[in-house]
Amino acid sequence: MIVEKVKRLRRAAWTWRQPLTRRPTQLGASVSDLFVWRNSADWKTSFELMDISGLFPEAGELPERFATMYCFDLAGRCFLENRLDLFPGRRQTIELAELVGDDHGEAGTFAVFHSATPKVVTDMGSYLAERGYVSFRFKDAPLRAYVHGNLDAISRIPDGSLELLGGSGLMSREYCLQHEMTGPALYELALVNPTAAERRCTFQLVSARSGKKFAGQNALLKPGGAALLPFHVDASEPVRAIIKSDMIMARPLVFRIQNLKLDVFHG
Amino acid sequence: MTKSLGILVPNAMRTITAAEVAGMVPNNALALLSLTLTPPPAISESLPKLDILRTSVPAWRATLGLSTEAAQTSYQGEVDPFLPQGTLLTFGPFLQYGPGVENFLILLNVENSPVYRSSALEIYNTDGGELRKEFDVRTNDANIVPLDGLGFQPGDLPMFICRGMAGIPLYFSRTLDGAYLSLEHTHPPSSLVVHGKRWEAQKMLKHRWFNKVA
Repeated sequence: MIVEKVKRLRRAAWTWRQPLTRRPTQLGASVSDLFVWRNSADWKTSFELMDISGLFPEAGELPERFATMYCFDLAGRCFLENRLDLFPGRRQTIELAELVGDDHGEAGTFAVFHSATPKVVTDMGSYLAERGYVSFRFKDAPLRAYVHGNLDAISRIPDGSLELLGGSGLMSREYCLQHEMTGPALYELALVNPTAAERRCTFQLVSARSGKKFAGQNALLKPGGAALLPFHVDASEPVRAIIKSDMIMARPLVFRIQNLKLDVFHG
Repeated sequence: MTKSLGILVPNAMRTITAAEVAGMVPNNALALLSLTLTPPPAISESLPKLDILRTSVPAWRATLGLSTEAAQTSYQGEVDPFLPQGTLLTFGPFLQYGPGVENFLILLNVENSPVYRSSALEIYNTDGGELRKEFDVRTNDANIVPLDGLGFQPGDLPMFICRGMAGIPLYFSRTLDGAYLSLEHTHPPSSLVVHGKRWEAQKMLKHRWFNKVA
């Protein structure tokens, strides 16, 4: 019994009052992930927009529904707020290139908030969440590569202001990428900071065979910002990646490019 | 039936290919990989309970993928057994269009009981609720459902309903030459809300849409 209590106390040091994300401060707020966008001659990003409020009962009683997309650069600076019409029951593929343009770098983050929260959702003490689907096209490939969102990273409260919802830990922690990085390939790890403070992160590659550590890379992530770090992996040396930070879960978006073909997934 | 693939020491990592285990997997069986602290029984009448630490943030994960000689596509592939009374409702905006492009739904189900149960997968156009086609799917299987030829256009939003079983809906697209691949799964309805009674929201959405298109 004492062993169990000690185990629980040790675990509590990592979890007590350290949630992955916080609740928005107001009911009726809309929540979104902070999705990654990439835009350049080689990269195009799309977002699948659905009228998610309209999926709920009594949606017809809601006021006019629309979505608002906010785009941020890698430093977390908002440079665009754009209204998007919604079409109930329909799929709408939003091309980010038309919105982000060429003046804000080649990568950043974006969020999508739905204007109307169904009463049945607020009655349950819940918040409408956009954790949908982003796709990337590399070098005019005939197929896009999809990846879903999964974090309630940012909220928009009724007065229009934005809140970052990401939690942080009392102690620095390591996130081990659940993927063996094999080559020859270029990996680009995108890490988003959904917290309200700057976060220092260390990316460490370790040989999957010998445990030998390679020179790491450091990044300083601004609130709401992101880092996109490249790693070249040889065929002869598969590696695993460890990301150290005081974010609760520093899970990157992984871009893997081999023979000009893209694979993208959460690690 | 369970077979050991070896020991993984702390901080070690291993990639396992289908070819590596092909000789162990009976025809038409679904192979499941797992980590355990103690070996499960070699033969059991239901899915063994795994003796393993569970975490939720982050959850224990494994990256799974499909590959050809030219390309690979990956997704986070962990799955817990579904309850036999589970159902499926999901909206899938992943169809891709173009010459030589094929689209499939891979509906993955695992239950504690190894008994196969069949059920109908209904595919609708969300706007208007028109049934496009029904397919037979079964439990404890990766059911491969072709999505082309159902008349969906780029602005249409397919809706997938299965009233007899739950599953993970994976969308797989490829070019006929295998040079390009895409694979991702859609969220369950509970992911449309956070905090509060999320599972009530899921029940509500399923009730609404199951009755709307019944």
